[in-house]
Amino acid sequence: MTSQKSSTESLVLQSEKGTKQNVGKRVPRIEDLRIVKGKAGYTDDIEMADQHYAAFLFSPYAHARIKSIDVSKALELPGVSLVITGKDIKELTKPMSSRAATKSPTSHYILAVDKVRYMGEPVAAVVARSKYVAADAAELIEVEYEPLKVVASIEDAMKKDAPLIYPELDTNEMISDHFDFGDVKKAFSEADKIVKERIRIHRYASTPLETFVVNAYYDPTREELTIYASDQQPGRTVQSVERTIGIPSSRIHLIVPPVGGGFGYKLAIWQYVALASLMSKMVGKPVKWVQTRTESLYAFHRPRGYMDAEFALRKDGKVLGMKLVDWQADANWPYVAALYSLIKFANMSGTYEIRNYSFEYHCVATNDPPIVQDRGVGKPFMAFALERMMDFSADALGIDRVKIRQVNSVPAEKMPYTAGSGEVYESGNYPEAIRRALEHSQFQKKLEEQAKFRKEGRYVGIGIATGIEPGTSNLGYYFLSKAGDPDYNGAGQMATVEVAADGVVKVNMNGPEIGTGHVTTIAQVVADVFGITPEEVNVDAWYDSIHGHLTYAGTYSNAFNDVYLGAVLTASNQLKDKILNIASSLLKEDREELYLANNYICKLENDKEKRLVGLKEIARISYGRLLSFPKGEEPGLKVTAGYINRTAKPFVRSDFNVQLTHSNSVHVCFVEVFPENWNIKILDYAIVHDAGKVINPGIVDGLAIGSTVSGIGGALYEEFVFDEQGTNLSLTFGDYLKPTAMESPEIRVDQMESPAPNTVLGTKAVGEGGAITSLAAVAGAVEDALKPFNVKITGLPITPEKIWNMVKDTPEYKKINKEGQ
Amino acid sequence: MTRMVTVNLKINGKQYSEEAEPRLLLVHFIRDALKLKGTHIGCDTGHCGACTILWDGKPVKSCQILAVQAEGANIMTVEGLEPEDGKLSIEQESFRENFAQQCGYCTPGFLMMTRYLIRNNEEMTREEIREKLHGNYCMCTGYQQIVDAVQDAQRKYFATKK
Ligand code: FES
Ligand code: FES
Repeated sequence: MTSQKSSTESLVLQSEKGTKQNVGKRVPRIEDLRIVKGKAGYTDDIEMADQHYAAFLFSPYAHARIKSIDVSKALELPGVSLVITGKDIKELTKPMSSRAATKSPTSHYILAVDKVRYMGEPVAAVVARSKYVAADAAELIEVEYEPLKVVASIEDAMKKDAPLIYPELDTNEMISDHFDFGDVKKAFSEADKIVKERIRIHRYASTPLETFVVNAYYDPTREELTIYASDQQPGRTVQSVERTIGIPSSRIHLIVPPVGGGFGYKLAIWQYVALASLMSKMVGKPVKWVQTRTESLYAFHRPRGYMDAEFALRKDGKVLGMKLVDWQADANWPYVAALYSLIKFANMSGTYEIRNYSFEYHCVATNDPPIVQDRGVGKPFMAFALERMMDFSADALGIDRVKIRQVNSVPAEKMPYTAGSGEVYESGNYPEAIRRALEHSQFQKKLEEQAKFRKEGRYVGIGIATGIEPGTSNLGYYFLSKAGDPDYNGAGQMATVEVAADGVVKVNMNGPEIGTGHVTTIAQVVADVFGITPEEVNVDAWYDSIHGHLTYAGTYSNAFNDVYLGAVLTASNQLKDKILNIASSLLKEDREELYLANNYICKLENDKEKRLVGLKEIARISYGRLLSFPKGEEPGLKVTAGYINRTAKPFVRSDFNVQLTHSNSVHVCFVEVFPENWNIKILDYAIVHDAGKVINPGIVDGLAIGSTVSGIGGALYEEFVFDEQGTNLSLTFGDYLKPTAMESPEIRVDQMESPAPNTVLGTKAVGEGGAITSLAAVAGAVEDALKPFNVKITGLPITPEKIWNMVKDTPEYKKINKEGQ
Repeated sequence: MTRMVTVNLKINGKQYSEEAEPRLLLVHFIRDALKLKGTHIGCDTGHCGACTILWDGKPVKSCQILAVQAEGANIMTVEGLEPEDGKLSIEQESFRENFAQQCGYCTPGFLMMTRYLIRNNEEMTREEIREKLHGNYCMCTGYQQIVDAVQDAQRKYFATKK
């Protein structure tokens, strides 16, 4: 018999004796019991006493001066209690400021002041007794605009005489920089071939099915602001509300019920949280706002832009160096300007060993609506550009598209690998992932089928792409105002774990539950620590800022599997330790021999488990019977603990460290293009995904599939289209096309496990991988299918109309159309 | 003051009689007047299906209908799926077992469609299920596990008929 070591010395999970291990199992989700009954309880399901409702008036112009606003008719409408405009906002609030860009405008407020900068910018706000009356009142507000010249593209924005989005900055370029890693000049001088291309990215977005919802009540008797919001980053929201409307953060109580989809979109809700909070304080009533779908499509997308890429190649396919110049229209909302660039470039060499490269980026303000850190942020475009260049390079050298990826993959023995940028890939086996993908996708068989189909005149193609999926933002943006150790960081979290007075193990979610299965994942882990079943762990699906709360708390940047689990495990282990200490002292038993199993403190006697005392009894004593409580221990069984991933480095310009864990995947896509209408059908889709240790395969597979379909949407269907006046023409799901079950393929996922050495359980990022790797796999497959037409795909989405435009003047097109006549 | 109309209808076997403005959407009536919060809103244009209910057993998007039009209707919402014994229905169980939801916001709509589809169709292929679900959006799952769940639910339903 060996005695079990105290687990506080190490965070590693050790399942208690005599109990079943839950980590790694396909445990049905606990939250689903509520979801399938229609009782998940989203923010809009909550009503406060004397509930009032807000509505906003949004700008129909992309760029205009506000000459006058007449609110009198709106105020006359019965049931309306407040109308506010930019005039009030200028008096009562502080402008939004840049978080990452070095330049910060001073004229962008939470409601437009004096001018509008995008179509859909909020111009005025109303509070009324019902949502219908609020909407009516908003329509009665009369605004006189003087349209200004619209800056509709990056090229427009950079012209000498371009109108300025922020006149106080004297330029439309918020930030730009140039970096060199290795010896780029030498790489290019030694190249056998140089391949050059401009790769574009369009505007698209994740569109969570639940829109923004906020319900705020400022209670004048307690001088406390209580907010319910579908918010992904509540820690940051509290800071932003404090900064803009001046309510101290210690008086803000923010609660996040389960969120109906996040995808980064709900990082941007804080502007409306601030507005609802301010209005509640002004009218003394709880104010709720439920965004409509059209309102949700106005803004907070991914930025459009392009990258000029140049690759220096050796004959055998080795990429000796690359030069990358990136332009993106991302700066028309100071708050997030410039976030995409560094996330993109830290991992720009993907899964490949490319030592010499330069990059330059330009973040430009146009009248495009604001962007947000949408699923994967800059990484989907990063992978798209890199993987397309790999394909073009292979084609130019006349070598195989798989081969070039094998030649360049970081060899397994070089892990952990430090990329040119300084980003550390802590784990993974990229050559093995490709090998498994070829096997899993039956690549050879696909090639044979393709040859057969081509003979039959069918246009069938195969695409392959690899991708890095980083997780846990260190928010390592070197250019922040306070470089080195800025005021915020995403590499840590807090969690609270308790055994309540009734003996039940309870965990508070330190981050919002956005649909990624955190309740069950945490329950599995905590169950193993305490030797109980996941169903017995009460994980609160509501984020509540009164529990442990860091100023960057939130569910974002694929950090859950790292820092959240780290915090939950830290708190659980501390609490378990305390329980065993109390039991040992009460029972006068050797602490080292005690363990927890099935809600009892146990020990082994003659190799048989003996239950000594119930956890419930320990709880009763710890909370109530304080006279029996051991000296030297604090009463209560509640631990709030924090956790930091210690591999986070300070940010310096020459040594990036944007994210701390790195999952990876290989996608193989098999498509057919139909020459009757140029529609595309995905015939097969195979993924090898390596996210380290998997806690629940049902959840992880689902995220891999779901994120891939979101990428397929971006690759084939989704685009926000604007006219020259900056008018957004995609304001319903009739115009902004999402993939439905009909367009979505069957996806086969093979999970590979290369555990991360720097997370407590070896887990890594899960939620973004598909969105990152899929764009290039789909594009590569369509291009391959259209090989007889000799087309090159450098932008998305690949719509039937675009294909037709590419093929219509080709000899192959003329050939098949002649035959068809 | 807006004229109010009394709407009488039956939901999940229970008779309701509530006042409504003539322009009130059925989905708002169900959520706000009757406080049945399981029926969701994901668009306002009839695309997403989050608001799907069964009206005389047939799927209807409740954001496309006025409450006053539902006078006398017999409606079922997600709250009516659960059998009285406190167990989950076949559809609910299949969705849970197959990880068919992530954020769960779309789930009530899909569950109502599933209730309808499995009872009113011969055994469906995956392709057929995908086609029949095209009026319901899910932004999270990529649909695959939903298709698994519908297939599973139909299998289970047929087994009860044997
Ligand atoms: S809310 Fe009814 S279809 Fe979307
Ligand atoms: S599970 Fe989130 S929309 Fe379907």
